Amino acid sequence: MTKGVLSVGQPFPTFKKAAVVSLEKGKEFFDISSEDLINDEGRWTVMFWWPKDFTFVCPTEIAEFNKSFGEFRDRTANLIGASTDSEFVHLAWRKNHDDLRDLRFPMLADTSKSLAEELGILEANEKIAYRATFIIDPQGIIRWVSIYDLNVGRNVKEVIRVLDALQTDELCPCNWEKGKETIKA
Amino acid sequence: MMEDTLTYSETTREFLDFLRLDKDYRSNALDLLEDGKSRYLADLKVNFKNSFESEQLSKKEVALLGVALAANASHALLGEFFRNNAQEEGASSAEIAEAVACASLLSANNVFYRFRHFLNKEKYNEIPARIKMNIMARPVSGKEFFELISLAVSAVNGCEMCVKSHEASLLELGTKEERVFEAVRLAAVITSVTKVIY
Repeated sequence: MTKGVLSVGQPFPTFKKAAVVSLEKGKEFFDISSEDLINDEGRWTVMFWWPKDFTFVCPTEIAEFNKSFGEFRDRTANLIGASTDSEFVHLAWRKNHDDLRDLRFPMLADTSKSLAEELGILEANEKIAYRATFIIDPQGIIRWVSIYDLNVGRNVKEVIRVLDALQTDELCPCNWEKGKETIKA
Repeated sequence: MMEDTLTYSETTREFLDFLRLDKDYRSNALDLLEDGKSRYLADLKVNFKNSFESEQLSKKEVALLGVALAANASHALLGEFFRNNAQEEGASSAEIAEAVACASLLSANNVFYRFRHFLNKEKYNEIPARIKMNIMARPVSGKEFFELISLAVSAVNGCEMCVKSHEASLLELGTKEERVFEAVRLAAVITSVTKVIY
């Protein structure tokens, strides 16, 4: 009934969704679209999903990602958190929880569940998203996926390690070897 | 007098914080990089911070190598940073002292042996060096780690003969090439930091 999870090498699906970006009145919401993922500036995207707002494991994990916000920024990667809750539930949760008030990344609202569905990360019974993490390159291609079951927390350090490994390294001509293709940035 | 017109970016401020430097720390190189909004600062910071996540070197070893490399670079700020780090990771003052001593001695050896290597003349190879190297006899941090510091310092100072001999001696002691590589990588990154923070 469901197709598999979108995986490495496939383009991230197109979408346009509301996200909570601030607690400030009038500036709470912002639309994020898949077009933002594709860019010439070498900006990567890390999108991580959780099953439901207002649950226990989630805020710990989200706070952990938030603590590492600078690590992602320094690696020119945009961090996006997402669940199938609406932007209004996101906002209420952020207001309600101490650890979430100062979030530095947007919380995407996949209210119609269309994106989670397309990504193949919807849990069959409850129709909520698994703890999936996607690393998407500046061309909009999925380069890494990890999926944890509903109750398993993630290791943010591992996500950073993978991002480091994926991003181009050793562009220096000192590293040039015969037969290697020309260095591209 | 130059006014503080430039506020450093968040990336840089976090980096300074990581290095336990004062909020109003400034350097000419940082000013120039910030002024041009260079993305290099983020790379430099990631390179440096990743050095602390090594699978081949313990946190204490990273700190002691740092002490030695800072000493080799005559770098007081990084020297202080790594000394604190080393202490927190349980290094004794004897081990810290040895890292400094090793860096100083090796910098002498790098100049000296490089000269012999460059010329490779029998005469210069015969005249006794008259450079005391007693600290090499029974290192407090162990023969292997002493060799590793020696290699890292020699790599920075660019003595081919020293690099080759210390690498060979490390492999003989059973050191894995991955560990040798990590020590040199750390030396390279610390050297790059000394160009921006000083």
